[in-house]
Amino acid sequence: MSQFPVNYRLISEVKIRRETFGGILYKYGCADRGALSFINSPQLIELLIAGQQQHAGNLSAAIESHNYSFASKRKLYAALDDLVKRGYVLQHVEG
Amino acid sequence: MTEPVRFLGRQTRLQSSPIGAVGKIDPLALTAMQQTGTMMPQQTGRGSQRFLQGGLSAPITITWEITAACNIACVHCLSSSGRRRPRELTTQQSLALVDEFADMQVFQLHFGGGEPFIYPGIWQVLERCTERGLVMCVSTNGTLITPERARRLKQYDPLYFQVSLDGGTAATNDSIRGKGVFTRALRGLELLAAEEHSLTVNSVLTRHSFTELDRLYDIAASFNAKLRVTRLRPSGRGQDVWGDLHPTREQYREFTAWLSAHPDVLTADSFFHLNAFGNKLPGLDVCGAATATCCICPEGEVYPCAFFQAPEFEAGNLHDNTFKDIWRNSSLFSFYRNMGGGACSGCGQYGACHGGCPATKWFVHRSLQIKDPECVLA
Repeated sequence: MSQFPVNYRLISEVKIRRETFGGILYKYGCADRGALSFINSPQLIELLIAGQQQHAGNLSAAIESHNYSFASKRKLYAALDDLVKRGYVLQHVEG
Repeated sequence: MTEPVRFLGRQTRLQSSPIGAVGKIDPLALTAMQQTGTMMPQQTGRGSQRFLQGGLSAPITITWEITAACNIACVHCLSSSGRRRPRELTTQQSLALVDEFADMQVFQLHFGGGEPFIYPGIWQVLERCTERGLVMCVSTNGTLITPERARRLKQYDPLYFQVSLDGGTAATNDSIRGKGVFTRALRGLELLAAEEHSLTVNSVLTRHSFTELDRLYDIAASFNAKLRVTRLRPSGRGQDVWGDLHPTREQYREFTAWLSAHPDVLTADSFFHLNAFGNKLPGLDVCGAATATCCICPEGEVYPCAFFQAPEFEAGNLHDNTFKDIWRNSSLFSFYRNMGGGACSGCGQYGACHGGCPATKWFVHRSLQIKDPECVLA
């Protein structure tokens, strides 16, 4: 889990679609390599959609605007760290 | 803007149908799918397969062969293209289809043919895709690109191009794609590159082009393009030449090493059958037909994938049903998504290659229960 003050922002090219197992993240590039991920966490998918639609991509704001438990927050931030590595989310330290 | 697709001749089937209620399955296809046995329980599926087994709400990408008309005649054309077909979808039908895809949240459309730039409504379709936020890829032979067209295409976004070259030399390419096509395709690449379009050079791997991979790689790089190498399938006219052109097992072994040394080369996830060599290639490790993708043909036929354009495997037709209804409720797709591993079920490498390409099995042996004809363990 990253320490504050770190901000997570969804890359604008990322498309999100709900599925029964959670959802799919797709990033423009092509259908070949590295542009697609299956996410088996409905909670994470809902967070990403909320961040995209209600917070202009600001995922930190989306998390903080919800009443997540500390444990859930911790899990979600860890998941966002993973999405940073996979290229769907940008992370920057607020100066 | 998003009203249901209303095609000519279809008046009464706009309501969604129960699963399995769309289309009848050809007895040949049904028997072939049943012979593969039962799919493993979902819990035991591995990798991407466990997400695809249940069927997605919509395809990730759709190959849309928007016209059969083509100005060249490749010997391996998987859709036997040449002349325009009588019942090809009109521009209005195509625009309504784009809206339906957008509503279903399909991510990407891959336009092929035929040559897409011969389709009269291609510009309107690209414009509608741009409006609806669909990612577009146009697979073209490159010969109809003009400076004006290359410039005009800049207004559509996000859009990228695949220009086909099936050899790194004129001799190899033109033996497959026709005399003079190599030079004309390079000119098309040059014009698209001059407008800074996102480009890939798409090349079907054959036993003749295998020795020219490095040259193809360099050609792509010279246009600031990526090289995309795909597998030769024995469908369409490809059935006639597959025996002579498909790579040897030793070539495939060298090819996997070559891919490892060129990680920027794209493969469209079409070589997962080579995972049985023991080194997993990047990308999907399973066939995405009818689960992650499907193919729409010029006259509205919907097939599991671009390589499986066999009449007995038609899941439905857009002149009769909506795409959504076919995708979610067709009998054929329902069976197709639940096929077992057939003869490969007991193989120790099944988890690596998942039995390979069903279309190749069908077109070579008219069976789905056998192993892939290019199985590297054979």
